[in-house]
Amino acid sequence: MFIPKSIGGRALAAAFLLGTALTPLQAHAEKTKLSLGAASADVGKLDPHFATSTSDRTLVAWIFSSLVRFAPGTTDPSKIEPDLAKSWEASADKLVWTFKLRPGVKWQKGNGEVTADDVVYSLTKSADPKRSAFAGDYAAIEKVEALDPLTVRITLKQQIPSLLGILTNYSGGFIVPKAAVEKLGADFSRNPVGSGPFALSRIEPGQAAHFVAHEDYFRGAPKIKEVAYRFLNSNSARDLAFAAGEVDAATGLAERQWLARTQATKGAVVDIFDPAELTLLHIDASKKPFDDIRVRQAVAHAINRNQISQFRGDAFTRAAGSVIPSNNLGYLAGSGMLPHDPQRAKALLAEAGYPNGLKIKMITSQMPSYETMAQLQQAQLQDVGITLELQPVEHATWHQMIRKDLNAMTTYGAARFPVADIYLTQFFHSKSAIGQPSAVTNFSHCTVADKEIEAARTETDSAKQLEFWKEAQRKIIAQVCAVPLTETAQVWVRRAGLDWGYELKGSMSLGPLLTELTHFKD
Amino acid sequence: MTGVPLPEDRQAEVPAISAGKSRTFLARLNLSTWIGLAVVLLLVLAAVFAPLLAPYDPTRQNILNQLAQPGAEYLLGADQFGRDVLSRLLYGARYSLTIGILSILLAMVAGSLAGMVAGHLGGKTDIVLMQFMDVVLAFPSLILGLALVAMMGATMTNILIAIAFTALPAFARVARAAVMAQRDREYVQACRAMGFSGPRILFRHILPAILPEVLVMASLWMATAVRTEASLAFIGLGLAPPNPTWGGMVREGFDNILNSFHLAIFPSLAILLLVLAFNLIGDGLRDAIDPRLKTAS
Repeated sequence: MFIPKSIGGRALAAAFLLGTALTPLQAHAEKTKLSLGAASADVGKLDPHFATSTSDRTLVAWIFSSLVRFAPGTTDPSKIEPDLAKSWEASADKLVWTFKLRPGVKWQKGNGEVTADDVVYSLTKSADPKRSAFAGDYAAIEKVEALDPLTVRITLKQQIPSLLGILTNYSGGFIVPKAAVEKLGADFSRNPVGSGPFALSRIEPGQAAHFVAHEDYFRGAPKIKEVAYRFLNSNSARDLAFAAGEVDAATGLAERQWLARTQATKGAVVDIFDPAELTLLHIDASKKPFDDIRVRQAVAHAINRNQISQFRGDAFTRAAGSVIPSNNLGYLAGSGMLPHDPQRAKALLAEAGYPNGLKIKMITSQMPSYETMAQLQQAQLQDVGITLELQPVEHATWHQMIRKDLNAMTTYGAARFPVADIYLTQFFHSKSAIGQPSAVTNFSHCTVADKEIEAARTETDSAKQLEFWKEAQRKIIAQVCAVPLTETAQVWVRRAGLDWGYELKGSMSLGPLLTELTHFKD
Repeated sequence: MTGVPLPEDRQAEVPAISAGKSRTFLARLNLSTWIGLAVVLLLVLAAVFAPLLAPYDPTRQNILNQLAQPGAEYLLGADQFGRDVLSRLLYGARYSLTIGILSILLAMVAGSLAGMVAGHLGGKTDIVLMQFMDVVLAFPSLILGLALVAMMGATMTNILIAIAFTALPAFARVARAAVMAQRDREYVQACRAMGFSGPRILFRHILPAILPEVLVMASLWMATAVRTEASLAFIGLGLAPPNPTWGGMVREGFDNILNSFHLAIFPSLAILLLVLAFNLIGDGLRDAIDPRLKTAS
């Protein structure tokens, strides 16, 4: 071996050897900090039972666990797997369900262990309209009892389409710690404590929400140790941040130009996944001029859903076929929807006493996808003489305002557990009407299908149950409680080196689920 | 220096009343002032005759021509809804000019009146009025405008009032200082000796003396008003869609800046041009009214 004789030469050689030895270490140093760019302006409510916005839903799914969960990467109800519950059994009549909990599951931030009391408290809270936005889904639960610290019994008033469905990691199914919620009260929403893989560490208002790994997570310590969820509501700012390497993944844009541009970016992987959000134009028949069905029909004839779908691009979006999403059990395609027919719309308006058209005010969200949707509708309605005066407000404010019954027409996109009962109940049952104690999202104050929705919920014959759901859709469309617009899949972009830990084909939380297996590949 | 608040970057520019009488006022305007006036005139004409000049309906969507690049069909391209950018710019000039000019005229009349009354009456009236103006002045104009528009709603009238409100103290303070400088001059004392009423002295004798100063201020503030309106629209507090405002066009264009940069560039240039023109006019008027300031600077 050649060894330099001079001191300088030896020093240089030593430095070279040291550098050579360190290089592999640096190259293989695992990246454990994940940065994400979100199409959101800020955190809304992180109490999972009030998390209704897309962004909040994404976040609570990292923080909290549930009795059972969708297998990561899917929205398939047949792939529901154990989460906090390790096993369960149901009585022969499916009215009494007993769940055995995993022992030793720890709450984040030193809040002790998950017990049956926490589960009882959580499900009771989910069913309480004052403490949950999803209370309607839990109306069939008669009682929830803790038989011992690790056993929970749920008794139903009547059979429901899927009890496991409402106990998943979605909406009211998340389990919260009784002691922490009672101690923090309303502050729990900004200081959530769960038993999921990531704990919220701090919120920078309007900037980012920061998370740290829950090292005691029952499936194992997450490989990612820190997560920065940055609020980059501007599409371009988010794209630029991704292109510049500032974020490892970001919410995409369901538009064809975005897809073409992003797919041309080196090292970018686009994830297009379920559930497709169904966007409906809800029309409140209790408000003038929509108390006249002819005006509602005129709106339906004015809307050109194919044009909206074309605007977005067919990789993500398709024209909606009913008032519930097409992946729902009980979906009925072509359930009597009125076709795009501007001439018929004008004639109906004239018949209703508006030969010169009319003006409607509508509060809209400034979220880009809603903003463009509103402007497309505005132009289509203008063609038949309906002037839509838009009042754009920040997205979280919009969520609050539409729940105060301030709109006669509300465009709302949503995906729910894929069984017709959930969507129909939340959007079209009278008990979900805005202003009711258990108000959820029945913006149209629709009441025409209550009988069918309730009958289907308790029907044990699946063929009859399907027929009730289909009849409900026919009635809702015939009364024009809502005009179906589009179905749009979720879209995110990530670096090829980022592995979610599963194949992302679906996510009920509307964003990628971060698990203990999410990591960066070498 | 009278301590009058000018737009942020225009401090220390309030002229004293000119003594130069040898040339006519127009002859004293420099080239850049004429350029500024010509640009504003052109933009006003473009706005007035927008229906004749615009090749397309500015709100008409044509999804098939979504994000069309500038070319023969669409000179300045089309936006994400397939709307013609040139047509939207021409119609957008109406909103920018109307808000820029009317809001400042409103502020000029109301602010000057308050300042003149405060300066002329003095005492408690002066203290109350000027302390109120100081409070308003404590807020940056954009923040104050933002708060007012958010409270009142983003309509043309409300935006106009909000911007006028932000400019109010500037005019009040200029007018007050000028009135205080004039009120002990011989001609005012002579008026008093002849038994003229306070309002008559104020509006028929003092007002003409302070008017040039106020007009210079107005032209400089018009640039600020245009910027404020565009900023409000950019952050989503401008006129509601589909009204084509320049700030709103920048906002919408920004979402597609990576593949269609023209959508944000053209309205930005329009805003730049109008602001520059108002500033050129303001500078020119100031120089013409008090040439000493020009040589001093």
